[in-house]
Amino acid sequence: MSAGAATEARSAVRVGRLGVLRHRPVAIGLGALAALGVAIVAGVAFGNIAVPIGDTIGILASRLGWPVATSWPASTETIVVDLRLPRVLTAAVVGAGLAVAGTTFQGLLRNPLADPYVLGTASGAALGAAIAVLIPVSVAWLGFGLVHALAFSGALIAVAVVWRLARTTSLSSLTALLLTGYAVGSLLAAGLSVAMYASGAQLRQIIFYLLGGFSGASWPQLAAAAPLVVVGSVLILIRARSLNALLLGEETAANLGMNVRRERAILLSLAALVTAAAVAVSGLIGFVGLIVPHIVRLMVGPNARLVLPLSALVGAAFLTFADLIARIPGELPVGVVTAIVGAPFFIIILRRARAGYEV
Amino acid sequence: MACGTGGSPSQSPQAQPTAVGSPTPAAAEFPVTLVDDEGTSVTIKTEPLRIASLSPANTETVFALGAGDRLVGGTEFDDFPSEAAALPDLATYNGVLMEQLVAADPDLVLAAGNDFNPPADIARIRELGIPVIVLYPEDVPGVLHDIELIGAAVGRGDEAETMTSDMQARIDAISTATAAVEQPRTFYEMGAEPELYGPADQSFVTDMITLAGGEPITTGSTTAFSLSLERLVDEDPEVIILGDANYGTTAEEVAARPGWDVMTAVKSGAIRPVDDIIVTRPGPRLADGLAALAHAVHPGLALPSTAP
Repeated sequence: MSAGAATEARSAVRVGRLGVLRHRPVAIGLGALAALGVAIVAGVAFGNIAVPIGDTIGILASRLGWPVATSWPASTETIVVDLRLPRVLTAAVVGAGLAVAGTTFQGLLRNPLADPYVLGTASGAALGAAIAVLIPVSVAWLGFGLVHALAFSGALIAVAVVWRLARTTSLSSLTALLLTGYAVGSLLAAGLSVAMYASGAQLRQIIFYLLGGFSGASWPQLAAAAPLVVVGSVLILIRARSLNALLLGEETAANLGMNVRRERAILLSLAALVTAAAVAVSGLIGFVGLIVPHIVRLMVGPNARLVLPLSALVGAAFLTFADLIARIPGELPVGVVTAIVGAPFFIIILRRARAGYEV
Repeated sequence: MACGTGGSPSQSPQAQPTAVGSPTPAAAEFPVTLVDDEGTSVTIKTEPLRIASLSPANTETVFALGAGDRLVGGTEFDDFPSEAAALPDLATYNGVLMEQLVAADPDLVLAAGNDFNPPADIARIRELGIPVIVLYPEDVPGVLHDIELIGAAVGRGDEAETMTSDMQARIDAISTATAAVEQPRTFYEMGAEPELYGPADQSFVTDMITLAGGEPITTGSTTAFSLSLERLVDEDPEVIILGDANYGTTAEEVAARPGWDVMTAVKSGAIRPVDDIIVTRPGPRLADGLAALAHAVHPGLALPSTAP
């Protein structure tokens, strides 16, 4: 409690007209929830193939157990239930996960440029995926292939290595973490380049993974990733108080009676786990984890208890919409859409923000 | 094979000969269980009436077997026969258009291996309960095998047998003629930007060059498709075949490239274009492709008449 109050007092955020919203986190939450609902419905209703809205509703209703007369072809039902629904829900889960992880990394590292990929997760996952593509065996287990498994492991191993190496330096621990993350990330990126150069015909698969997207989303993949993302995010939410304390600086947090080292390790592990599960199913989708936490902070201030859940909702809605837009011209990489839509929006928000904003 | 629950690779003796163009008397041939080029065992319950082809070679084969009217979709690359171009696109360079594929409601999908169609997409189609046969011929006999495999899958086993024996006879005739003359060191250029691309060791194109009476110059590895100019100069090609002629490369341009004037082929002007599509597309026009390639390697050689 005291940590949250202290944070509020210290960081005097004035965000112009948006400042009105600052005192209405509930309204923002409901708005984001409504946007998420609209995004999910629109994501299921629209796609490459035109499905009459009545059929979409009928199919969903019949799946929910309502007695609806089947008046649509079986292929339409497959498109709605097996292709679009898991895709839309995966986008929502990944969006929420990346936004929560981004909030956590920004808070932990007290760095506004931190994102879920900052400590080597992106390079680790990408290298893992590339190695999986190069291994000449096709292992598919419940739709969760070697690419997903190695991407997940790669992300976690990269963070573990960064954490381990950073502990043994004599620099201040945050600086050490960031710089070690950068160094390890560069090393892994070089490995990725070698793998891409050696990949021949498989290069396209690696590039698709790097661009990120949800075109391959399926129920089994969602079932594997969603629990990790949801449980990890909830555990982070429960520790929002620690994140608030860490925002004040390590000494202050320690004075507040917190075991800084332990709390930081826990939060970092959880955020890495959420990120790894997200990138395993979606590939590397940039921007969401960096921008969404800032947008939310600009609206409600830095209190992690508000920022974390609101970021999850906004991230989920944003990425679901971005995926819908990505599908309209065919199949654009969703990371392109998040940047094209997100960057101008973020610049507008930033210009309206007055002095005093910090992570 | 046509009757293949036993998995015997030999042709079933009791298969009924059918007139080309007429519907197949399918009762005797289905259900059929086939093993595709990735080793996956695929059971096709009834004669497929809605076929989706995910590679231009598969599309050509289905048309050549007289089952083109049963295709419900193809790829963005389909260009032969001309009807094929009008098929709805179900696969692009970027992968399979999954919603379009499901909407086309196919009862058989003919995919291409070796990453032509992304493996994840193929797995996804199987997950949705649609039978998929993955075709990936690694050499010339593999192409003939795949035509027979598609024939068995679509209930056109006998037409496929006839077609492949004709193709085999033509291929044999060409390779016999080309084997009798000197084998020039031949480089088949697949592309020159940003690097020089040529056939890998033991690849399909390498096989074709050998049959066409050339000594293939390869990348020196089974997995690399690029090679250095140093390697090419060292190998000193006597003939350069421009597989990239369809994309605008000309003999003059090649001769003017810095460093290329030392090669025998450039000095003697033995730089010749070929229609890359028929040479490299593993489909029913492969014998035409071999004839075109043999003609490019040995322009003076009289080849056996083309029509079998």
